[in-house]
Amino acid sequence: MFKWEKLGRIFNPLDYQGKYWMSEFAQAPSTLLFDDFVRVYFSCRSQRDKDGQFVSYSAFVDLDRKNLFNIINVSNEPILKLGKKGCFDEFGTYPISVIKENNEYIAFYAGWTRCVSVPFNTAIGMARSCDNGVTFQKLGDGPVLSYSPDEPFLISGPKIRKFEDIYYLFYISGKEWLSINGKSEMVLKIRLATSQDGLNWNKINSNLITESFDLNESQASPDVFYSNGIYHMFFDYWIPTNFRKTKLRKIGYAYSFDLVNWTRDDNKAGIDISNDNAFDNEMIAYPHIFELDGKTYMLYLGNEVGKYGFGIAVLEGELK
Amino acid sequence: MMNWEKLGQIFEFNKSSLVSTFVSHTQSPQAIIYEDFVRIYFSTRKTDANFFYISHIQYVDMDLEMKTILQTSQHEVISMGNLGCFDEHGIFPLSPVRVNDKIYAYTSGWSRRNAVSVETGIGLVISDNEGYTFKRFGNGPVLTSSLKEPFLIVDGFVRQYNNRFYMYYIFGKKWTEETETKVPERVYKIGMASSDDGVNWKKYEGRQIIEDLIGDEECQALPTIIYRNGVYHMYFCYRFATDFRTNPNRGYRLGYAYSANLIEWVRDDKSKGIEFGKTGEWDSDMMCYPHLMEINNKVYMLYNGNNFGKDGFGLAVLKET
Repeated sequence: MFKWEKLGRIFNPLDYQGKYWMSEFAQAPSTLLFDDFVRVYFSCRSQRDKDGQFVSYSAFVDLDRKNLFNIINVSNEPILKLGKKGCFDEFGTYPISVIKENNEYIAFYAGWTRCVSVPFNTAIGMARSCDNGVTFQKLGDGPVLSYSPDEPFLISGPKIRKFEDIYYLFYISGKEWLSINGKSEMVLKIRLATSQDGLNWNKINSNLITESFDLNESQASPDVFYSNGIYHMFFDYWIPTNFRKTKLRKIGYAYSFDLVNWTRDDNKAGIDISNDNAFDNEMIAYPHIFELDGKTYMLYLGNEVGKYGFGIAVLEGELK
Repeated sequence: MMNWEKLGQIFEFNKSSLVSTFVSHTQSPQAIIYEDFVRIYFSTRKTDANFFYISHIQYVDMDLEMKTILQTSQHEVISMGNLGCFDEHGIFPLSPVRVNDKIYAYTSGWSRRNAVSVETGIGLVISDNEGYTFKRFGNGPVLTSSLKEPFLIVDGFVRQYNNRFYMYYIFGKKWTEETETKVPERVYKIGMASSDDGVNWKKYEGRQIIEDLIGDEECQALPTIIYRNGVYHMYFCYRFATDFRTNPNRGYRLGYAYSANLIEWVRDDKSKGIEFGKTGEWDSDMMCYPHLMEINNKVYMLYNGNNFGKDGFGLAVLKET
């Protein structure tokens, strides 16, 4: 079992007032390392409109590389504009995953549109930054990864990686919408697509992670990190049929040697909800692993899927 | 110059057995030719619990002379799409094509949206009982939005030429601005894709293959193609983006283009050889959703008339020139 030491909450969006686009939530943290700081991209929610609806924006916070609890910058504006009328990303860009390629930064993000029979649908778009990851411009008005026969809706949660010159996009897709106590609940599974150029994707078209015991288990945040000859994946999962009651979302773990075939071993994950009255005493979700100056860290969300921000934990030793 | 002889409205909703189950419309007739009859699929409508229209696929069988109605379907030809799927609010239209011993049919699935009225995608359903019923090839679409085709992928028409599948379809360019009195209206163009297997498609991404005749807000719909005398002939319908429902000067009429290679198309509406009917006739104000078919070496066109095919569909036959 891995041994994670929780260091506490590192960013709470409620500490930053006066940004129209960030009222609450800091979801889906993912990092990019710079010389002096660690940039953490995340997604947040605007204030609700008169109908109680909000939109999600993506932004970043820069953490001092020498002391991650020292916040040295928060983005002034969202890094990405919302989509045009009728487009897949008209009502949100969440989450986002950024990769550095030479001097260019490429982002994959889930775009949100609102539906009538179910609350929303999502697909994955692509954008580029020419200013060191401060703002991003979309490559087109439509998505790069969208619905297909075996992935009918809810294409979301992109995590972009590059191993041996091939792009790997880990993401989630909807299997079914359940109607639970009059609410629509999603059944989401972790999926994979590969690409030579980042634009044209081949879907693997199978679930990467087997369910732990309930076939309706939803999975999210497939965060893959290579260490000691093994691909390690941390993700989170919940049971959509009782999630509104239990509020329980936990972090799972799987490993692979080829990125396609994964062995689930949640007992190894080594991180769980807190027992005290901390921000993560109901759930932990959306893990993200990064390595910095010889140490391995995990960013993760606490209660209400990041409504009160994200925390950080440090690994004892290495992932192996 | 093409030259068509109109044969009139050959199928009327109100005179059919559909009236016992459906409320109106027989839109976008598209055919499969059998040894001794023609099966014509179309979309007809019910209303759901919220009084929204839902399009369902039904068919009518006619004799090879296109003179006698043999039977009209009364069973569920394709089941409803699942909750949240691209086709959960109906299928309109359906493009059937024989592939080996099966019939593939490309569905245009509709699902309702919040900020705009609708989003669409093109799915595949397959029949292994000669077109009596179809089963979905997956719950999601085979063709959907992409970087340069951001929404409203619909109206897929599929044929096999030279051992390759070609799909002609429409993609959305924009939704017009919403004002206090006007809802957003869609603008769409004809594009194309090709495939080895009819399942995995490669788009000619964002490429409008038929030039505009009435400005860049021209809406082009439902391409249909027939190969004749060494030339690919395409009919389609087009209209203005706004005020098109009741104003005959801005509503659907037929367009025509031809190609030698399936990729480069020359628009030539002057040669289309078919015009609106006279005042009072069923196709006096609108002509839309054309479908070309060949039976015993005769070329026919099925199409809808006034009110987007609310009352029925009609037929014309090509007079060789």
